[in-house]
Amino acid sequence: MGLFNTKNKAAGKPDGRVEGIAKVTGAGKYAAEYKVDNMCHAVFAGSTIAAGTIKSIYLDNAKQVEGVLDIITHLNKPAVPGFASETKLKETRFGLPLFHTDKVYFRNQPVAMVVADTLENATYAASLIEFTYQEDTPTVDFKKAHPSVPLKMQGKERGSLDAWSNAPQVVDQQYDIAAEVHNPMEMHATIAHWTADDKLVLYDKTQGVVNVQRTIAKIFEIPQENIEVFSEFVGGGFGSGLRVWTNGVGAVMAAKAVKRPVKLMLTRSQMFSLTGYRPAAWQRVKLGADNDGKFLGIHHQGKNGTSVFEPFQEGITSITRMVYNFDNLKAEQSIVPLNLGTPTWMRGPGDCTGAFAVECAIDELSYQLNMDPVALRLKNFAITHDPENKKPYSSNFIDECITKGAEMIDWKQRKQQPGALTEGDWKIGYGVAVGMWGAGRGNASAGITMEKDGTMTVKTAMTDIGTGTGTAMQNMTHTFTGMPKDKIKIALGHSTLPTAGSQGGSTGLSSISGAVSAVCDALKKQLADYAAAINPAYKDAKPADVLLSATGVSLKTDKNEFVSLADIWQKNNLTDISVKASSGPGAERQQYAFCCSTAHFVKVRVNTKTGKVKVERAICVADGGTIVNEKPAANQISGAIVGGIGMALMEEIHADEKLGNLVGNDLAGYHFAVNADAPIIEVAFINKPDPYVNPSGAKGLGEVGIIGCAPAIANAIYNATGKRLRDLPITPDKVLV
Amino acid sequence: MNGKNYYSRRFFLKTSGALAALAAIPATVKSFYMDAKRLIIPPRQKQPLIVKVNKQTHKLDVDTRTTLLDLLREDLHLTGTKKGCDHGQCGACTVHVNGERVLSCLTLAATLPGKEVTTIEGLADGDQLHPMQAAFLECDGFQCGYCTPGQIMSAVACVKEGHTKSVAEIKEFMSGNLCRCGAYNGIVASIQKVAK
Repeated sequence: MGLFNTKNKAAGKPDGRVEGIAKVTGAGKYAAEYKVDNMCHAVFAGSTIAAGTIKSIYLDNAKQVEGVLDIITHLNKPAVPGFASETKLKETRFGLPLFHTDKVYFRNQPVAMVVADTLENATYAASLIEFTYQEDTPTVDFKKAHPSVPLKMQGKERGSLDAWSNAPQVVDQQYDIAAEVHNPMEMHATIAHWTADDKLVLYDKTQGVVNVQRTIAKIFEIPQENIEVFSEFVGGGFGSGLRVWTNGVGAVMAAKAVKRPVKLMLTRSQMFSLTGYRPAAWQRVKLGADNDGKFLGIHHQGKNGTSVFEPFQEGITSITRMVYNFDNLKAEQSIVPLNLGTPTWMRGPGDCTGAFAVECAIDELSYQLNMDPVALRLKNFAITHDPENKKPYSSNFIDECITKGAEMIDWKQRKQQPGALTEGDWKIGYGVAVGMWGAGRGNASAGITMEKDGTMTVKTAMTDIGTGTGTAMQNMTHTFTGMPKDKIKIALGHSTLPTAGSQGGSTGLSSISGAVSAVCDALKKQLADYAAAINPAYKDAKPADVLLSATGVSLKTDKNEFVSLADIWQKNNLTDISVKASSGPGAERQQYAFCCSTAHFVKVRVNTKTGKVKVERAICVADGGTIVNEKPAANQISGAIVGGIGMALMEEIHADEKLGNLVGNDLAGYHFAVNADAPIIEVAFINKPDPYVNPSGAKGLGEVGIIGCAPAIANAIYNATGKRLRDLPITPDKVLV
Repeated sequence: MNGKNYYSRRFFLKTSGALAALAAIPATVKSFYMDAKRLIIPPRQKQPLIVKVNKQTHKLDVDTRTTLLDLLREDLHLTGTKKGCDHGQCGACTVHVNGERVLSCLTLAATLPGKEVTTIEGLADGDQLHPMQAAFLECDGFQCGYCTPGQIMSAVACVKEGHTKSVAEIKEFMSGNLCRCGAYNGIVASIQKVAK
């Protein structure tokens, strides 16, 4: 098993994540749960049109509600410096000039904010505000809007289209994906507290405290270091926490206006409009191959929806450049402005969308060739080199993933002939698809404070949105230093801790592992220096030679040279030891290409009478380098498959074409996979270290688990029924038509 | 909570306009004006409430609109019970009322006199975790942890109700508790472990 899979169970306590007890006892504090004296509540009133201009606002009724402290609209707002001009707004990268415009860009756009003593009063008052508008016709239907938007070249063309114009085997199809909403279980919330005129404390649901500091500092023009951000427990993100949204800016404005701390938690229906979503996408893939299945070329076109006030382009065609050898490749993309909120990165952004079209097209080709889709992929994988920049992959085991997955599902049970397996009203089918994601790494810092009794606190500003970052840090610290795990405490998600980027794009663990490695070395160096005052053998000792235990340090030599922590503390007159270190990607990024990958195998049952699709087995084999944390890593992957099941079979936002409102914008109307919708998901890892990515050899797993899952399901439905469904989600009505 | 009342607003605007002309006049007219306002915007109503939460009795004066969920989170600062939708659609707010699983967001606090509420904070016996809490920890039955208190409260009830005969049955009876991280593998394993 993994390099870090060292069992060290603290007496009497079950083995689990570092923050596990806080989570199972309800003690962990999420953004909206901090107790702040004199706090009041803010609630947004949303626009009831999707496009137009506010003509008048009636606040009289709302103002009569007991406990109302203030009502903020564009007419009376406290001026926010970052929204003072178009130029300034651009610099903030916030997009929506909240309460600084009479324009309505989308339905449910916050157009007023009530601040009141209690949530009940604020909610009631917000419901009493009335607006009149000059209404424009909104554009919300992506499928109707995109044909009129022209495509533009996306990246460099490889080879040419002409080179394979005579390809004997061609698949040319179009694929659609409905917009999906992240919907983390915790709704976005902020508590804002001005502790001085230019000093702010924020308790915020975010995937990056530093990003919140930076953004709020820009918008309110106060020094970044004057903003303290707490985000110690984060109730999911999936990308929605990578930006600051209106709840953050609104709470800060409200707190300034009423001179009291203010809590603003979005409602679930507001979450659908105000915190991003995976935009709807249209794609066309033209794929050419020779009669033996060798790919000759690909032409990939993609469009995605965005808002009318902010451009957002998904990297839909990026994945086309990574996975397979295409000598000829052309990619084109464009964005389609709609009267909806701005979309944002959602788990596996771009690649997840692109993989649906490419992996389905390859499946279509396999049937056309009468060739096993696993064999077809194996024939065309780019294993040794990144086909785009020609750099060698530092490690790429996508071939091993697909081979292992095929074994696990017993792929030979699959029939090449669609519709061949039947049980009563159920048709049974098998599907495969792969996913890939660039294994990124960012700069990160970490610190360690060590006390006399050996207790170490490893700290970083990075958040843990449920991926197991804290537990991984504990495991790595244990491996790097030898200190028993029960002596290693973790502090995360607070802006005063050593700075680190957001947890997103599957870079969290990769980035932080470098920092943890560096800070462990710094601690060992520091301890060796102190120990040298007692035992000269420590003079010039290298960090790699120093080993820690609960009671002291020793050298990896025959003589051991043990020096107790008590002696070190006494001799050097210490209270505690504090070290800090930073780390980031280096020259290896110029030499190598980095990727993590997955192979998805599913077995589905499709009911021929009801159109219901049941995923009976879902298998994912992942290459994430060294697995630092086996249980949470497997949890990440199986959770991503649950997300993939939702994407494939149920998730969609539907906007009413006339009114511009979202239909079913709550958790009853918007279906994502519940417990009964998912089988027990089978996960396996290649678990081989990547030699260059970072000191731990681990590559991020957050995104790659969902990439390729939806096409594997769509391909299985084809294998079961002979129906090629190219429009996600594949709901029963589409299956039956 | 919905106050979209156009008739009332017009009525109010008219009466307030007329009454403004009478400004500094008789107290009776003023009181009529106040009454007219109240007809449109009802004042907050409070009700005394004695309720037992986690074996501790609380004497409170609650807003009649307050849900048990908001009472726990905002008034009693028992924030272990989570708000995930506020509409009874996600299960994150699941607590036990008189030993049965209940959605606290759909339960008005005013309906609680004489009832006994148990939240996630009341499940452990001091430092000794409830077996279901320990199982969730060991089976990694969560990721972000936000739906977890609701999952655990439902899981305890699921075992008590005897709906644990198969994976399919557990999945069915735990499907009122959504988990967006998709930690369903671990949730099912935790329940199987405790049900054994």
